[in-house]
Amino acid sequence: MKKLIEMIGVTKDFLQGDNVINALKETTFIAYEGELIGIVGPSGSGKSTFLTILGGLQKPTTGKVLLNDKPFSELDIKEKSKIRLDKIGFILQASNLIPFLTIKEQMVLYNKITKSKVNQPWIDELFLKLDVEGLKNKYPNELSGGERQRSAIAKALYHRPSVIFADEPTASLDTNRAFEVVKLLAKETKEQKKATIMVTHDERMLEYCDKVYVIVDGVLRQRTPQYV
Amino acid sequence: MFLALKELKYSKTKFALIITVIVLISYLVYFLTSLANGLASSYTNAVMQWNADQIILTVDSNDNMMMSYMDQSDYDAIKTTGKKTKLALFPAVINDPQAENILDSRMDVYFFGIDDDSFIKPSQLKGLTLTKNQVIVDQEFQNKGYEIGDLFGVTGSSQQYEIIGFSSNTTYQTAPVVFMNLDTWQSYRYGSNNTPDLFSGVVVQGETNKLPNDLMGYTTQDYISTLPGYTAQVLTFSVMIVFLIIITAFVLGIFIYVLTIQKTSMFGVMKAQGISNGYIGGSVIIQTFLLVAFGIIIGLALTTLTGIFLSGIIPFAVNLMFYSVITAAFFLFALFGGLFSVSAVLKIDPLKAIGG
Repeated sequence: MKKLIEMIGVTKDFLQGDNVINALKETTFIAYEGELIGIVGPSGSGKSTFLTILGGLQKPTTGKVLLNDKPFSELDIKEKSKIRLDKIGFILQASNLIPFLTIKEQMVLYNKITKSKVNQPWIDELFLKLDVEGLKNKYPNELSGGERQRSAIAKALYHRPSVIFADEPTASLDTNRAFEVVKLLAKETKEQKKATIMVTHDERMLEYCDKVYVIVDGVLRQRTPQYV
Repeated sequence: MFLALKELKYSKTKFALIITVIVLISYLVYFLTSLANGLASSYTNAVMQWNADQIILTVDSNDNMMMSYMDQSDYDAIKTTGKKTKLALFPAVINDPQAENILDSRMDVYFFGIDDDSFIKPSQLKGLTLTKNQVIVDQEFQNKGYEIGDLFGVTGSSQQYEIIGFSSNTTYQTAPVVFMNLDTWQSYRYGSNNTPDLFSGVVVQGETNKLPNDLMGYTTQDYISTLPGYTAQVLTFSVMIVFLIIITAFVLGIFIYVLTIQKTSMFGVMKAQGISNGYIGGSVIIQTFLLVAFGIIIGLALTTLTGIFLSGIIPFAVNLMFYSVITAAFFLFALFGGLFSVSAVLKIDPLKAIGG
């Protein structure tokens, strides 16, 4: 199986007053294609630090991140930003949708920014799969929470990224909707050979994950068995 | 462009209100400019028509043509390579002889005494001969109901003058000008007994040799700025206009800034997704540009309409050069306002978009 994203010996220290805080202790992590990986842990444990370093939004204190076997964490801000645009998809708690664009336009925005052609068949296919075809001319605030997250997944998949980061994608959904969204995410991850890394508070969502990691006090370790 | 336009379309009401503010301010600025320009022209129209290189008065007049007295020997002492002509100037209050006691029929005017073949005689009326007590008057007389062949009098005198032609754009210090020959002017100014052969100044087209010590030359621009109230009026209007443009920049800058701050979290999410500062900042600038453009186009249209309806009532003159300078200033200052918001965009940390 192909390695998509890899963290090698990464640590992150913060200076708080005169104290050094080890937000992330030495961490090594690999995500392969087709894997949906769940990350759990209490708040303040380092989940966000882990995810933001993996996504290139913060520099690690030591160690490095490789994306598609190429160095990622050492690049400068502009280059990292470019790579995020092309290789990474985000699904965020508050949704990654822009309030004044219709669902269709959310996809087109990527083409406008990269000055590329709109891939209409791919949009149609995605919309069909995620059951948002009927919503394409609606604005995010006209949608229900579930519809919004399904649209967010469509947006995250549209530019064919290697890796998808999902930060609490089910936080605003009821149980049925939440299961539906995670199932979809798991299915698309397999079908399209992505690696999806999902941070969640909701233990019930972990049954769809291929691997589960727990972070406690800045230490990341794989959990076996996956659910307790 | 895509983001900027889509947002304008989505938040129509919000942006319509901002555009309204810009329309009102730009309308006021263009309107004031036209008014200032119109007023300034009605001060100086007659002087501009002279196309003078120099206007020569006596030093004793202290820049005031009405207090300048020159005679033939002064005229002869001015040597020029070009043309020179005598000019006599004095204000007058005229009235309609049929309605002598009706105060409303009175009008403030300037009597210009000139030689009949003078180059400052209104060019479209060169064919008319100014004989004794026959005058060419500014168009404004026509607006008051005077026609060719009509007579008017001067308050406090029984002398009457016959209108033989109308000239255009001949106002001096906002009052219409009455052209007459020097004889007629001198009788008005000094009475008909022992009238001295005096006039006020000499208008020169071309270079002059060194002037005698008791005479002083002015360029047209220098002369205009000595007209009472002219400089103060132009300055007042200019200051108002400049301040209004700066205020627009601030108002617009603040609007855009508040909108940008409202969108901080959205911009954070966009930056996390790898959308560059350049694209987001560019979109803010394009939006500012579009708002100003819409506002200014409507403001200009309103000004043009107002001009059509009010041109007879107020001194309203369109000057394309002023309009372009002001429009450019609007854009320039508004973009400064927009840049302020771009700097706020640059500071947004994409980290905030994830977890916290």
